[in-house]
Amino acid sequence: MTLLDVANLDSGYGDLQIINGVDMQVGDGEYVTIVGPNGAGKSTVMKSVFGLTTYMGGSIEFKGTEISGYRPEEIISTGIGYVPQSDNVFPSMSVMENLEMGAYILDEVPQERIDRIFDRFPILEERRQQNAGDLSGGQQQMLAMGRALMLDPDLLLLDEPSAGLAPDLVQDMFDRIDRINDDGTGVLLVEQNAKEALRRCNRGYVLVQGQNRYEDTGDALLADEQVRKDFLGG
Amino acid sequence: MSRESLTGMGENISGGRISDSASAVRNRLSPTSGADIVGLFVALLMVLLVLDIVRRLVTGGIAYTKLLEYLWWGLRDAMYIALAAVGLSMTYSILQFANFSHGDLITTGAFGGWAAAYLVGGWGLASVGELVLVRATSGGVSPGQVGLQVFASPLAILIGMVVAGAVTVLVALAIDRLVYKRMRDQGGISMLIASVGVALALRYFLAVIFTNRKRGVTATAPDVGPFTAHELTLVIIAFALIVGLHLLLQRTKLGKSMRAMADNKDLALITGIPTERVITATWIIGAAFAGISGYLIVLDRGSVSINLGWFLLLLIFAAVILGGIGSIYGALVGSLIIGMTVNVSLIWLPSDLAKVSAFILMILILVFKPNGLLGGVETT
Ligand SMILES: Nc1ncnc2c1ncn2[C@@H]1O[C@H](COP(=O)(O)OP(=O)(O)OP(=O)(O)O)[C@@H](O)[C@H]1O
Ligand SMILES: [Mg+2]
Repeated sequence: MTLLDVANLDSGYGDLQIINGVDMQVGDGEYVTIVGPNGAGKSTVMKSVFGLTTYMGGSIEFKGTEISGYRPEEIISTGIGYVPQSDNVFPSMSVMENLEMGAYILDEVPQERIDRIFDRFPILEERRQQNAGDLSGGQQQMLAMGRALMLDPDLLLLDEPSAGLAPDLVQDMFDRIDRINDDGTGVLLVEQNAKEALRRCNRGYVLVQGQNRYEDTGDALLADEQVRKDFLGG
Repeated sequence: MSRESLTGMGENISGGRISDSASAVRNRLSPTSGADIVGLFVALLMVLLVLDIVRRLVTGGIAYTKLLEYLWWGLRDAMYIALAAVGLSMTYSILQFANFSHGDLITTGAFGGWAAAYLVGGWGLASVGELVLVRATSGGVSPGQVGLQVFASPLAILIGMVVAGAVTVLVALAIDRLVYKRMRDQGGISMLIASVGVALALRYFLAVIFTNRKRGVTATAPDVGPFTAHELTLVIIAFALIVGLHLLLQRTKLGKSMRAMADNKDLALITGIPTERVITATWIIGAAFAGISGYLIVLDRGSVSINLGWFLLLLIFAAVILGGIGSIYGALVGSLIIGMTVNVSLIWLPSDLAKVSAFILMILILVFKPNGLLGGVETT
């Protein structure tokens, strides 16, 4: 079943069109990666799914319902979690409060979700009373993911979660994403560590200048001469 | 991230390492900067001044009780500055502009609140017009005849305070609908300039109704121990309101969503926080505090004038900037420092110059810590 179905999407900022007829699907529980050069519009696609850009045409369906034009809180409640590329925690609020904000649209903070997230990221439980701004980069990424997982979404949008992490932490981050996906959550990942991301995912898209360039299974993209040469550094 | 990042994580990470170590080297080698020297200077000055106070106390140059009195006045001034400063700081961090009409919200509360207190407490003692306009014309009823003071007419004073907050909230919300709401995406500078216009318009509007005559308002109340009853009332109520705000910010969902939005507006939107509702709550709290501040200042000083808030605005900005603009707890710290400085410096300076000392201290601290005392911490 298709979870997210983006078809012929046009979007941008104000009058500036960035995304030009992009198609993209994520199946139920699937793990999909978007790679592409800087400024290709990868983040813009994600923001568009979340209704944070200027919509210019095409369709965005989630579980069969058109969600373009939905407000962010409606999109969250349909079951999409989003971790933006940068500034993805509330720095002066505690770890616990950041997680609570993830469940803002609920009347009560679901304690079992918090427990579940502490199981997944034990360091967050240790640091629960600390301000998010005092965490290391890797811990902040975990917190941002934890926040996005608070409502147990069916689809998690992750924008460059390994940015700025040391090499061993990058592997650790990928392992964590694998585990989230193993538990049945669909993942749409934008990554600068393109090779590693393609190795781990089910399918991948190569986005260039706001348009689809290649689309295939991760392994096939890794094997493709042209993709290797142009986008993966040989 | 750079273009090379797609070629794999190798370059990327080592790039990070290089810049890290470069900055570490820079830190180690950095010579003493001008800011450090100013910081040292301020610290030295503080030590000297404290030593001088001790000397004066020992030699009898200043009475022990006099010093205590200055400290108490410092606390009193800090409290009403703080009431106004937290609101200014909140509008800055959540609406992202420096609101120059905040001072005139203080004046709005002062007049609105005392009009209500006069109506309730002075009913039958003078014409309704005289009461509602809070003695706008001279020659009518005197403050002593109306007799408003906390012991004689606590209910009128309390009702006046509630009205002061409520009227100011209504005015602030109306101004937001009319002016600022249309400008949400226009950036801080345009909104700042608009707020200067709003400040003038609001003040002249108040002057048309209440006239610009400075006049006495309250009757004298008996002292409570070493304090006047009215300054004690001011300090207690302001303290209670600030504690209440602290609890709201830390314990309630609304408070947390306000802190979240002050922290990171875009992320607040993504988590589903209804941002317009948070903005409304910000105006309500900020304006209510400003209005009550103005009302309590009149209670303490005994008189009201049209420039009350405007003249105070500079001190409030000083407190907010000193604490780190946008930081609510910083605004409290800043208020305390400003209030204390203005009063304790009376030991050395005539009262005209005492205010200047607060601004000089602010400038010195800003040179030393450009983001304010709590600015870098981003404690909202
Ligand atoms: N808020 C904005 N307003 C206007 N233009 C924007 C905005 N955000 C991004 N852009 C532009 O849109 C284009 C695509 O940006 P986007 O952030 O989607 O790229 P990206 O593929 O995510 O790049 P990166 O790898 O650097 O994250 C860029 O040209 C960028 O300058
Ligand atoms: Mg991006």
